[in-house]
Amino acid sequence: MGDLRSSLVTRAWLLCTGVFVVLAAGVAAQGNGAGAVASPAMHEVTDGYGRTVRVPVNPSRIVSLAPSLTETVYALGDQAHLVGDTDYCDYPPDAQKKTKVGGVINPNLEQIVALHPDLVLLSKEGNVLETVRALDTLGIANYATDVHSVEQIIASIQKLAEVLNVSEAGKKLTDDLEERLTALQAKLARVAPKRVLFVVWPDPLMSVGQKTFVADALRRAGAVSVVESNQDWPQVSQEEVARLQPDYLVFASSHAGSSDHDFEALADRPGWQILDAVRNRRFAVVSEAIIRPAPRIVSVIEDLARQLHPDVFPEKPGRQEGAAVGAVPTASHLKQVTSLVMQAPCVTESSCGR
Amino acid sequence: MRPLTMSRVFLRCGLLAVILFLAMVIALKLGAVQVSLYGLGRDLIRVLLHQSSAISTDYGMIVVDIRLPRILLAVLVGASLSVAGTSFQALLRNPLADPYVLGISSGAAVGSIVALMIENQLAFSAEYAGLITPLGAFIGAAVTITAVYFLGRREGQIDSTTLLLGGVITASFLSAVIMFLMSTLAGSNLRGASYWMMGSLSSLPPRSLLYLLGVGFVIAAGAIYTTASDLNLLLAGEKEAMHLGVDVPRVRIVVYLAASILTGLAVSVSGAIGYVGLLVPHAMRMIFGADHRMLLPASALGGAIGLVIADTLARTVVAPSELPVGAVTALVGAPFFIYLLRRRLG
Amino acid sequence: MSTPLRMPGPSQDQPRGNPDVRLSVEQASYAYAPNPSQAPLFTLEALSFQAKPGEIVSILGPNASGKSTLLKLISGALEPLSGRIFLNGFATGSLPPKVRAQRIALVQQESRLLFPSRVLEFVLQGRHAHGRGLRFVSDEDIAIATNALAQVGASHLADRWMDKISGGEKQRVILARALAQQPILLLLDEPTLHLDIGAQVDLLESLRRLAAENRYTVLVVTHELNLTGEYAEQVVLLQKGKCLRVGPPATVFQRDLLEHVFQAPLTVEMTSSGRPRVTLFSKT
Repeated sequence: MGDLRSSLVTRAWLLCTGVFVVLAAGVAAQGNGAGAVASPAMHEVTDGYGRTVRVPVNPSRIVSLAPSLTETVYALGDQAHLVGDTDYCDYPPDAQKKTKVGGVINPNLEQIVALHPDLVLLSKEGNVLETVRALDTLGIANYATDVHSVEQIIASIQKLAEVLNVSEAGKKLTDDLEERLTALQAKLARVAPKRVLFVVWPDPLMSVGQKTFVADALRRAGAVSVVESNQDWPQVSQEEVARLQPDYLVFASSHAGSSDHDFEALADRPGWQILDAVRNRRFAVVSEAIIRPAPRIVSVIEDLARQLHPDVFPEKPGRQEGAAVGAVPTASHLKQVTSLVMQAPCVTESSCGR
Repeated sequence: MRPLTMSRVFLRCGLLAVILFLAMVIALKLGAVQVSLYGLGRDLIRVLLHQSSAISTDYGMIVVDIRLPRILLAVLVGASLSVAGTSFQALLRNPLADPYVLGISSGAAVGSIVALMIENQLAFSAEYAGLITPLGAFIGAAVTITAVYFLGRREGQIDSTTLLLGGVITASFLSAVIMFLMSTLAGSNLRGASYWMMGSLSSLPPRSLLYLLGVGFVIAAGAIYTTASDLNLLLAGEKEAMHLGVDVPRVRIVVYLAASILTGLAVSVSGAIGYVGLLVPHAMRMIFGADHRMLLPASALGGAIGLVIADTLARTVVAPSELPVGAVTALVGAPFFIYLLRRRLG
Repeated sequence: MSTPLRMPGPSQDQPRGNPDVRLSVEQASYAYAPNPSQAPLFTLEALSFQAKPGEIVSILGPNASGKSTLLKLISGALEPLSGRIFLNGFATGSLPPKVRAQRIALVQQESRLLFPSRVLEFVLQGRHAHGRGLRFVSDEDIAIATNALAQVGASHLADRWMDKISGGEKQRVILARALAQQPILLLLDEPTLHLDIGAQVDLLESLRRLAAENRYTVLVVTHELNLTGEYAEQVVLLQKGKCLRVGPPATVFQRDLLEHVFQAPLTVEMTSSGRPRVTLFSKT
């Protein structure tokens, strides 16, 4: 009797194992994703990873996995084709209404697939190789950008415009950006650059490295970062900064709320009074767009140049796109920076794993 | 009290297998995208009949290409970690032992960082790109296993206490190496590494990797299972075990190598998912008793069930975002651990 | 009541020399040096003796006389530095652990279990050496284990948990596990240490009975003079690693010798049964 019961269960068990094994075999037999119904016209381009990728000639369902690329798509006027973006894509405000597919580092593959995109945009500095690999495995066309200077940002915008089949809009945009940069260059030609410390995060103190586009943006604004590092987001000691004594502190902030006393709050933190720039209140605050490789960066460069070299700009500054007045890290800035910190070398023991 | 017989083991494992099957079905159904059970069943049958192209594109790619491999990965990793945890608890005679206590996960992390660095230098080839990081991680794990083995010997044989000490020290050292590497290496391409180290099943592993994991599990877990009766005696004390007929040095080496390989394979693919290897053995012991002939297969199945459920929660609780699965296992695991402590470790 | 356990088969064992001798210790010695440059910490000088089936041998001596070391050499836990130990003609050092456990059973004082088990399961551990493959217990194993419990008078404990029984009961269960191994040589290390007097006598009586019924050779390491005198057929007297005398108790229990070894004033008298009895005095 116990035998009968055990033999029934044994059979049930064998059945389940059998189904399991066959399922696994089915997974194995499965090729690269469910085949696409009708293949749209494709062509090959080289992307930021240096690989040759096949992308549709006329992408109509785009998912962007980087806030900078979302902004660029809007700037190119192609937002009608944007069907999904990340939780962090907040500019322009309309981008927040698009379907969200998760974070930048760990986007939700299912959500992406459910949107049936014909092209996914990634950025080499924001996204991870794993995501690229996963998209390749699923047979979803993807294109990545890689920028390390303002020059490259503009070139990348043009290239992206070609990929999105909006080359004319791209040309207009890049021409405008380049014009503004050249004009700015002329104005700043005879002025000595200010030595600045760009504060990504005050505690632990993180700045930018020389090889980043942020450092390049600073240079274009008539400033030079005092931090000599080849890392992207180096952590600097306050001693080192005290030794370097930058002329100015530069902060990126997301809120247009004037807060002189927010700066006070920062200045009150231990160890900051040692800096001349803090004692003399020489600081500049720009929009967080400076850390996004998108068209807005040129506006930020202009704004920063105004703040650092006011004598070169006699006319009153108009309402610049994305300009902000002093504010120290706030909640939404926190979100932005947290994603940056996640990307940076781990700073605390707990985040470095066991 | 009726002693354990093979048919009783089968019976109980059969029950667990059925539960696992149900958990897998539920996991296939749930996710950021809604999938109906009917459509699910229909598509799975089509997969079995090799009519993959007939799958409706809505479900096909999501279920078969994304969810199913992920669930299978959870099954294999959960089973591997649990069996490894049970084995280490017996080998080290320590109820607090988990698969990572001997530094294998730290070694794998170092290996994966090195592999990421190398990958950034090499040409980008999607074929092999998916294999370099797991391979590097496994090599890191293998080197650690070897080093700890030599550290853990006394008078030419593995000694439990020495092994534990050697492993803990190695783990600390490697963690320091990781911190050093992460903070001094230029470039932002290591950002995936810290996410990986929290443990995640969200990478889409190449098929070959799943096979490797499966085959490795069968071989290593099988090897450990042949020593199941020996492990029961080993827990009574090494001298006693020897006098009862256990070839202690041989059993130690077999179990150490096999459990380390299981851990290395699991960690290479999914990072260091915590609490599974520690708690599943205890839970299974509370239910089925401490006899390893029942405990080992029960841990394997229990670990698979647990990780499938944890992964499903990780995927669905804050959809479309994802929690790292290590966070879910910790959140569930820690209270359970406290409960266990109060029950005096069943 | 209780049936004798299976007698060791004559098939595999090829006796060497005298078929009447089961255990032969030939010039076995041992030294232990914690540091290669240091002098050896403890030495057991070469000694020899023999034991027969059905015999109880007492390895007698004060603390640190090398008794436990000798037992470990015989049980196979240690390799002798020189000399060899033969069991039924086979050198014990050359036997694999599994085979050795089928012949030699060791009863220790305590058994630490990481995860508690039931008494019957514990006794079944003794069948491990006879099992094959995954070693799921057979009906025969259960019968043998139950029988072993009966032989030590602990049948009523079969379903109890090991961590819930008394010290004396535990001792009996550990002995039952050793019996379940169906050995031909039974080794006991200071078995009477934690037992009260009645239990001590019970144990020795059981050993005598078991040795006679099952033809075990029993070696008991002890420092109990009177128990030795009463129950042992042969005594190996050790002091500080040296074997001073081997022989029946009547021969070994000489007053000057014992006083020298145990450093205590005593007298020895012979009882009517031919067994010596030792009486200790105070030193004043």
